[in-house]
Amino acid sequence: MNSLFKIFSSLKALDRRYIFLLIGVAVILPLIFPLGLPLGVTQPSLDLYNRVESLKEGSVVLLTFDYYPSTLPETEPMSYAALRQLFKKNIKVITVTTIPLGALSVMENVVKNVAREYDKKYGTDYVNLGFKYGYQAVLLGMGRRIADIFPMDAYNNKLETLPLMQRVKNYKDIDFIFIVSDNATVDYWVSLVNAQFGTPMGAGVTAVMAPKCYSFLQTKQLVGLLGGMKGAAEYEKLTSNPGRAMLGMDSQSVIHFAIIFFVVLGNLGYFATRKKEVSK
Amino acid sequence: MRTQINTAIAFLSGFIMILAFFSANSGIVNFSQNLLTWVTIVGGISLLLGIVSILKVNLKVIQEKGKDWIFKLILVLFVLGMSVCGIVWGIEEKTPFDWLFQNIQSPMMSTMFSILAFFIASAAYRAFRARTLEATILLITAIIVMLGRTPLGQAIWDKLPTYADWIMAYPNLAVQRGIIIGAALGAAAMSLRILLGIERTYMG
Repeated sequence: MNSLFKIFSSLKALDRRYIFLLIGVAVILPLIFPLGLPLGVTQPSLDLYNRVESLKEGSVVLLTFDYYPSTLPETEPMSYAALRQLFKKNIKVITVTTIPLGALSVMENVVKNVAREYDKKYGTDYVNLGFKYGYQAVLLGMGRRIADIFPMDAYNNKLETLPLMQRVKNYKDIDFIFIVSDNATVDYWVSLVNAQFGTPMGAGVTAVMAPKCYSFLQTKQLVGLLGGMKGAAEYEKLTSNPGRAMLGMDSQSVIHFAIIFFVVLGNLGYFATRKKEVSK
Repeated sequence: MRTQINTAIAFLSGFIMILAFFSANSGIVNFSQNLLTWVTIVGGISLLLGIVSILKVNLKVIQEKGKDWIFKLILVLFVLGMSVCGIVWGIEEKTPFDWLFQNIQSPMMSTMFSILAFFIASAAYRAFRARTLEATILLITAIIVMLGRTPLGQAIWDKLPTYADWIMAYPNLAVQRGIIIGAALGAAAMSLRILLGIERTYMG
């Protein structure tokens, strides 16, 4: 009993470099040796998938890339899976970002890669609006006339020269908004666009953002929600596009388990020393 | 006089946006739309000012060989380098800007973010203690949600994701709603203060 106490007591002073080392191993090993754990699908992800599936061929979807490169492992797989689902269903896609740092380059790469896969034509099947500063003004302004805020697309083409944009003037002509975001822009899409213009929308957000978005789910302002890498993996599974999110789920499983292990270990050390201190 | 002009501009801009929200008058709506376009233009210029400010601050330190001047030199070189690449060759695929973004900026930003996992683990080990009843409830809730959000948790117990979802959809939702309502009321109060010229800190 005494030796057990000593072990737990010494745990309190465990060098954090050992923790870093174990966390590093916990991330890397499952990537090299996948566990292949079965992945369940949560209701909010399924709702978003079903809503997109219910859109008719030729519908117009606005896909946002409101995220920074720092959250790419969580958000980029959502964009890839969503875009593949949309192009597969022959849905017209308009892409836009309100993030100044790097999102334009990410959007450019994702859209061009997937458009090539599905042989989609720029201007007819999809349009990239690019970036414009000031998301509140951008979101509100697009409600009246998109061309007022984006007179030109990301490649300096006038919007009226693009066949798709000739029939899409504002949110009334958009059937669904698919938000992929790692920040508060989701709040603005909901409060400025859904509340004022009534355009239906769903969102894919980082795990940190997901708890806040549940309130928009309950009010049905968001029809569905993808939360973090798990949400991205679920969408990859639903759209039959296994990618980096599904690959990362084993690592996420082990890392969550490792953090819980450390929390339990830390508490055992805490209670062991506290018991001793109380008895003294 | 300067303060009064600024306050008047803020009041008129805000008032027109409120009017446009409630009015169907095409003149007011068009004017508000013009104001929104102006916001994006002024915002774009402010980004440029930000770059000028970064260069000014860091060039001064480099010139004086101040603390960490070598890092500031790298920053300035990359700000100028990426700007030149973007302006000369564009930012499309297979341009120098895209190469720099894909191979340097993006991995560095992801690395910074991923380092969090190490610090969260270390901090949780040291600080997440079941000292009180509230802390114990938080600890148990966190464990259920963390496990419930992974396939491993589902493999351990198939009901775990259901409980994790319940926590997110009910207790979490109640708290989040309170935060959202509080923040919205605060934002409305602050907007009113700005419109009425009571709040002037935004003028610098």
